Amino acid sequence: MRPTTGTEDLLRLHAPQVLGALVRRYGHFGAAEDAVQEALLAAARQWPDQGLPENPRGWLIKVASRRLMDQLRADEARRRREEDAARLTPRDAFTAPPPGESRAPADDDTLTLLFLCCRPELSPAAQVALTLRAVGGLTTAEIARAHLVPEATMAQRISRAKAKIKGAPFRQPGPADRDARLAVVLQVLYLIFNEGYTATSGDALRRADLAREAIRLTRAVRRLLPREGPVTGLLALMLLTEARSAARTGPHGELIPLDEQDRTRWDRRAIAEGTALVEEALAQGPPGPYQLQAAIAALHDEAATPDSTDWPQILALYDILVRLTPEPMAGLGRTVAYAMVHGPHAGLDELASFEDELRGHYRLDAVRAHLLEKAGDTERARAAYRSAARGTLSRPEAHYLQTRAARLAP
Amino acid sequence: MKYLVMVQGSQADYEAMSGKPSADSPAWSEKELQAMFAFMSELNNDLAESGELVDGQGLTEPAQTRFVSRDKDGRPVITDGPYGETKEVLAGYWVLDCESLERVTEIALRISECPSPEGVVDPPVVIRPLQDASGGEV
Repeated sequence: MRPTTGTEDLLRLHAPQVLGALVRRYGHFGAAEDAVQEALLAAARQWPDQGLPENPRGWLIKVASRRLMDQLRADEARRRREEDAARLTPRDAFTAPPPGESRAPADDDTLTLLFLCCRPELSPAAQVALTLRAVGGLTTAEIARAHLVPEATMAQRISRAKAKIKGAPFRQPGPADRDARLAVVLQVLYLIFNEGYTATSGDALRRADLAREAIRLTRAVRRLLPREGPVTGLLALMLLTEARSAARTGPHGELIPLDEQDRTRWDRRAIAEGTALVEEALAQGPPGPYQLQAAIAALHDEAATPDSTDWPQILALYDILVRLTPEPMAGLGRTVAYAMVHGPHAGLDELASFEDELRGHYRLDAVRAHLLEKAGDTERARAAYRSAARGTLSRPEAHYLQTRAARLAP
Repeated sequence: MKYLVMVQGSQADYEAMSGKPSADSPAWSEKELQAMFAFMSELNNDLAESGELVDGQGLTEPAQTRFVSRDKDGRPVITDGPYGETKEVLAGYWVLDCESLERVTEIALRISECPSPEGVVDPPVVIRPLQDASGGEV
């Protein structure tokens, strides 16, 4: 159903700008979003056969506007809504701007849309779905496939989300809560990335698209906000993580841990770009969690062999990270680094401080198992791997942990 | 036609797969586990590619079961597990959309060929046709 890649990229590029233009002009986010989807589908059908229009964005805006008008008029006829009639008059004479010259800053619309899709009153799942559709230009079917849910479920989720933000003003948050709102946008982008990155075997191909989409959207945010440390840091973190993805799973989707990966399969170009971004991010003010995690990822990626990893430096970064974030997972990461620097027994002592908070959490068992194995306590390591395997709900992780337990069989 | 295809296993089988042997279930070696994971992942990819896979899931071990019921006075009774060590319960399932019963039987036969350690006797693979939600001719 999808057009050729060239057309598809072009549509993805224009989708948020076309939607922004419509919402700015007419309001009605929900109806505008439907109209844009219809225009994108019409373009996907027509452009490959009939060739590209002179001004693709103008074409899309025109077609989407007509659809929206028809829709609003139909609504109005049906429900006699006075306020629609008023809104049907565009605020300025409608002509598509010539290329390279736009009346409204189209790029800013992308950011405004992101803020709109990531409004705090929406659940994270709804924020993700709406962002992928409104800003990413994905179809409901594609988003449903990526999340492995039926299309009807996803359609419902998206239309509920649209209903919820109905009437929200189409403008960026004011300076007072801008940082908090930007943090939510970044969190949603990171969530999309992780959904793609931690895909399981049978669906790996479909879901890897999500990681790429998250990187594309984060790049767009960075173009608009080049001097924001957290944005630069998040993009770096994504690139440095994604760089390892080819080496991260075996032929059957089995997980391969960092110290066993074939490092020649890491993407050097992504690592170079990510590393440069880390340096830039660290120069953009005091580092937050994204910058620190990106710096840690860069140190892993720069090591040609596991043994040449700069663990003391990684531990120093984790020491700052755990002071910034209450996340116990950051603490577990720090414990692993601590054990690499001070030995597995010292690491096991450190681990004791998480007993209460993470009791029964499989990650605690998994880290303990690794440290016990390194310490040569095979029997207890096996038991810890086993209970970690029992505790995770992720199939690839369960398989990996079972395999580690079996490897230590007497 | 949609079919539910089920495989069964006991708590002892789950234990054996994470390296703890029992009388009926020898512990799986790393190689045997990998062979089984690879077999299943290939099967799932083939079913996804042929468009027959609607859903397929593995269930966590029987020990993590929770029972919800009512006593004779209608009060809720909630208990966690346990099943007997060797009682066979649902371990995984596929919802498949197949041409015919013959075709889904072919797939079930393939599932039954999944490699396992010497001495393990697998319970049968179960096929149950699903009821169609749309009304037919009455």
